[in-house]
This record gives sequence, C-alpha cells and structure tokens, in this order.
Amino acid sequence: MADPSVPLIEIQDLSKSYFNDGVETPVLFHLNLKIHKGEFVAIMGPSGSGKSTLMQILGFLDAHTNGEYIFQGEPTQALDDDALARIRATRVSFVFQAFNLLPRTTVLQNVMLPLIYHPTIPSGERQKRAERAIELVGLTPRTDYLSSQLSGGQKQRVAIARALVTNPDVIFADEPTGNLDSASGVAVMQALKKLNDDGHTIILVTHELGTAQHAKRIIRIKDGHVESDTSDFTRLNTESAHNLK
Amino acid sequence: MLLSDLLLTATRGITVNKSRSLLTTLGIIIGVGAVVLMVSMGRSFQNYILTQIESVGTNTIDIFPKGFQNVGGNLDSLTLDDYTEVKKLSTVESVAPVIIIPKTVKYGREEASPSVFGTLPQIFSNYGLKISRGRLLETADDTGSKQVAVIGDKAAEDLFGSRDPLGERITIGESSFTVIGLLEKQGSALLSQLDNMVFVPFTTAKIATGQKHLSYMTLKAIGNPQLAKEDITALLRSRHNIKNPENDTDKDDFIARSAEQVTGIVNSVTAGLTIFLSLVAGISLLVGGIGIMNIMLVSVTERTREIGLRKAVGARKQDILLQFLLEAVSLTMFGGAVGILGGLGVGWLLSRIASNVLGDFSFSVSIPSILLAVGMAMGTGLIFGIYPAKRASELSPMEALRYE
Ligand SMILES: Nc1ncnc2c1ncn2[C@@H]1O[C@H](COP(=O)(O)OP(=O)(O)OP(=O)(O)O)[C@@H](O)[C@H]1O
Ligand SMILES: [Mg+2]
Repeated sequence: MADPSVPLIEIQDLSKSYFNDGVETPVLFHLNLKIHKGEFVAIMGPSGSGKSTLMQILGFLDAHTNGEYIFQGEPTQALDDDALARIRATRVSFVFQAFNLLPRTTVLQNVMLPLIYHPTIPSGERQKRAERAIELVGLTPRTDYLSSQLSGGQKQRVAIARALVTNPDVIFADEPTGNLDSASGVAVMQALKKLNDDGHTIILVTHELGTAQHAKRIIRIKDGHVESDTSDFTRLNTESAHNLK
Repeated sequence: MLLSDLLLTATRGITVNKSRSLLTTLGIIIGVGAVVLMVSMGRSFQNYILTQIESVGTNTIDIFPKGFQNVGGNLDSLTLDDYTEVKKLSTVESVAPVIIIPKTVKYGREEASPSVFGTLPQIFSNYGLKISRGRLLETADDTGSKQVAVIGDKAAEDLFGSRDPLGERITIGESSFTVIGLLEKQGSALLSQLDNMVFVPFTTAKIATGQKHLSYMTLKAIGNPQLAKEDITALLRSRHNIKNPENDTDKDDFIARSAEQVTGIVNSVTAGLTIFLSLVAGISLLVGGIGIMNIMLVSVTERTREIGLRKAVGARKQDILLQFLLEAVSLTMFGGAVGILGGLGVGWLLSRIASNVLGDFSFSVSIPSILLAVGMAMGTGLIFGIYPAKRASELSPMEALRYE
C-alpha cells in the first residue's frame, strides 16, 4: 500500500528519560534507526541498556522525550490520544515479556479483546478470526481454558495470538521466550517466523543469540546508544565467539 | 467500540470480579438500607406517639396537688372551692374534679384493681372516652349521688370475663354500684391505662370516702392552653396565698400540666430518638462507604493494569471511562435499589409487629433521607469506581501496566 522506499519505522535523534518525582533517569540517547516493512529485527543488549524502553516507544505504549518518531511516513509528534489509540488498535501489536493476559478470562476472550476496540473489523467476524489466531499458535484445544489454567509457554502463545488477531503491520515482542523453556521458546519463535513469512514485520528483544538468529537483522543497544546494526551473520558469530573468550 | 461491546465488557467486569462486585454492592445495600430503615422507623414512632396524644386532645389541662408527683408534697392542696373558682375562669371549660377511691373492685368472687374515679361527665370528652354500650354518667347521677358506674374495657374483662356487665352490681370498698355503661376499648397501648378504669359520680365518691380535697381536676382550655394555664396558676396562687412573682413552680403547691406540654416533651424525645437513629444510620453509611472505598482502592492496581492492557490493544480513553462508569453505575444502582427495598421491607415488617403490640402504628417513609442515603452511597461508589479509572486512563499504556 505505502511507497516501499518509505520506512515503516523511522526515528531521528530520539531520546527518552523517565521522570519520577522530579528525578530524571535518561535511558535512550539520540537514536537513529530505520526499519522497513517485512523485516525481522532482533534487538539485543545488556540488561538495563534500554531495549524495552525503545520497544515501548516504537509500539506506541509510551512517549519519548526528544526527537522524532515517524511511522509509515507520518510524524507522530502531534497525534492526539484517539489517533494513537487507533494506531494501537489497527497497525501495531505488542507481546509482553510478562504476558499481560486478562485474569479469570478464557483464551478466546483474551484473543478477542483487541477486536472490540478495532474500528473496522465487523463484530460477526471476531470469533472466527480469534479461533484462526489460536489455531496458528497451536492452542485450539485450550480455547475455552482460563488464562490461569495455562503454562507459561501457552500463555505466551495466547499473547502472540492476541497480537496477530488484528492483522497488524508490525508485531513487537519483548523477550517473548524469556520465561520459557527451550522447547516452548522454539515453538514461539516458529510462530513468529511464520508470521514474518506471511509478510508481517517482527521486532523482538532477546538475550539469546540462538533466538536472535531467527531474525534477519540484529540491532545491539548499549547504555542507550545503538552499538551495532547488522545483517551480516558471519561477523556476528565471530563476534560472539570472541565475546565468549 | 460498539454499545453492545461496552455492555458486555462492563458485565464481564462485574462478573469476573465477583467478590469485589458483591462486597461493593453489599456496602451500598447496608448503608442505604440502614438509613432508610432507621429514619423511617424513627419517624413512624414519632407519628404514632403524636397521634395518640392528639386523640386525647392537646388542649386538655390537668391540675394536680404537688404531692401527686413529688414525694413529700402536699396531697390535699386542691379543694372543692378551688374547683368552683377555676370553673369561673373565662379561659377554661369542661372542668371535672376527681376523687380517686383507692379500693379494690369486686364482682361476686372476682376481684380487680382498676383506678376508680369519682368525677363529673365532663371528664369523658376531656379524655376522648366514648361509650360502647349503655350510657355515660350524667349530671343527674351526681346530684342524686347515685350508686352507678361506667367501666373501661379492661376492668370489665377482669371482673366479668365474657359476661355482659350491663346492669350487674359491683362492690367498691363497702358500697355497691350498678354498671350502667361500658367504654370503648382504646386503640393503642399508650392509652391502655384508660381501659382499666371505673367512673362513678363525683358526689357519690365524696360521700363514700369522706374526702374534702380533690385528687386532681381536669379541664379544657378555650383558646391558647398556655394562657389558660397562666390564669389557673394566678388564681390558685392567690387562693393558696403563695407569693411567687418570680414564677418559680417549685414554690407552688400544685402542678398544672397541659397535653401540649406533653406533646412538646414527646416531640423532643422522639426528635432525639430520630437523631440517634440517624447517627446509627449515618455510621452504617460511613462504614459501608469506607468498605466500598477499600474494595475499590484495593482493586485499583489490578484494574489499572487492566486499563493499561486495554489501552495497549487499542482502547480509547472514552472506551475505558464508559466501561468503568457503566460498571460503577450498575453496581451502585443495584445496591441502592436493594438497600431501599430491604430497608423499607424490614421497616414495614417491624411496623406490622409494632402495630400488633401498640395498636394503630403506621409506617412512615422519609423520602429526603432516602435520597440523601442513596446519593451518598452511590456517590461513594461512583467516585471510587470512576476516579481511579479516569486517572489510569490518562496514563500511557505502559505507565498503567507498570502500576503497582
Ligand atoms: N519507569 C521507569 N522509571 C525510571 N527508570 C526506568 C523506568 N523503567 C526503566 N527504567 C530504567 O531504564 C533503563 C532501561 O530499562 P529497560 O527496561 O529499557 O532495559 P532493558 O534493556 O529492557 O533491560 P532488560 O534486558 O533487563 O529487560 C534501566 O536502567 C531502568 O532502570
Ligand atoms: Mg526489558
């Protein structure tokens, strides 16, 4: 739909500080990045380097302090609350490290949640769409389970189903495998890979190089700066081998 | 967001958080119910007592010798001459002197101890006593000092059981009297002592007891009872040689008491009762309100996260606000309605029981107090249901999700 030369996501000189009781915690410093439609990007970096903070800004869940965030060619600075809500409802989805499912609510209801806020998807289609998303993450037998009756990996897959049910342009996943054993982690990554193959843009945060290697591009963040940004995996491998010494 | 989604979401919000919803509603029910019940009962009770007093007549004045009420006081300060002079006052009418005969009453082998009054026919209208069968005392009974008696319902029952007392002879002390009339039973427990009485002609009693002074006298004021009381007081002071310019009733050897005064006392007592009940109700309301507050505030963390999540998947501020408004409104309305119905129901039940015991006790509802209670309880519910939601909806989704 849009001009393919226009990046899906572009940030220019973006900074972020948290303010708590007047105390400023600067976290991100003058970042510049472009991410195009269809990419599968892994963001890596040490704990506390600002990965989650960056993801939350890119996913419209939090505001940045300085600089520009241009989404699909449109500056987002001047957007009001309702416009941001509309972007969250239709264009982007977020998979949280901590799942964030609604308690005491079934898998189906959780996955259908974004659809009640979607401005164009007809209500008659919701259940069908939700069931398809649940099928995609392999949880059809658990459709009517409550969220508390699921394992961690199953919860994360529900969160992924919820993220893809609106068919967003981009899915953000913040350490989606961080709480999972390796087998569940592989299942989650396969689900994300399948989405990327279907044309979705995927941006994920991970600590594990193995997980990052599902991606086509790896951005390293350190102390709020972009340390490296590469699609060259041979170099990456030697680098990590070097780091292990 | 569609209206149907809004309704569904709010309904789920209520059913998913069952205990929170239940406790909130309970807080409102208790607060509203208590206020409705207490205030209504207080009012009903006040109405009941005032109606009873009015049925006797608020312009009735009784004049007692001091000793009638104050132990050690004079019992024989009122004389027949006092009666004659009081009767001449222009502000009084229907004056009846009373000599109480302190004797048991017998019929055959049955014995009873009603109050036996030797008095004039005027007393019946002063006390609102009506004849049920036979006739009341007449002036001729007095002038002829006849041995006749009019008896109250309770006295009749004690002496005669189910037999017809009319025409029967009873013995009071040593003299024998013919029953010529039976009084109507009093409607209420408050006045039931009037049922346990026997009335005989004044002169007959005077002869039988040999008593020179009056036990007391009763009369009706013409116009303002206060003015009548002042006239009587002035007259009796001058007749009894009491110099009392400072108007200190302790110096008098008599007491003049009007039903109006009693009404005033009763009014202030029941007003006190109503204040007390309102206080109790207010405390219940407060406790209910604090309960609601607590429950709402305890769930703020969870609900703030929920709001963060809803916003993260695309909810607008207004979607959140409407959902929470709807939840709070339905909970408080439901609680308020149950509280009102419960309070009224229990109140009605209690007044049915009261009317069995006390006679005609009618249930009276205080609309302003209901409105106040409902307003306060619902206000608490709404404020503590919506305010945190409003604050949370103004956070960014991440700020809300991070909340703890
Ligand atoms: N709400 C907040 N207020 C103040 N400082 C914050 C807040 N959230 C995060 N920070 C700080 O910002 C920095 C970056 O945090 P962030 O969560 O983005 O790190 P991260 O790279 O995702 O780390 P991890 O790999 O451990 O998840 C940290 O130093 C953290 O202390
Ligand atoms: Mg993180």
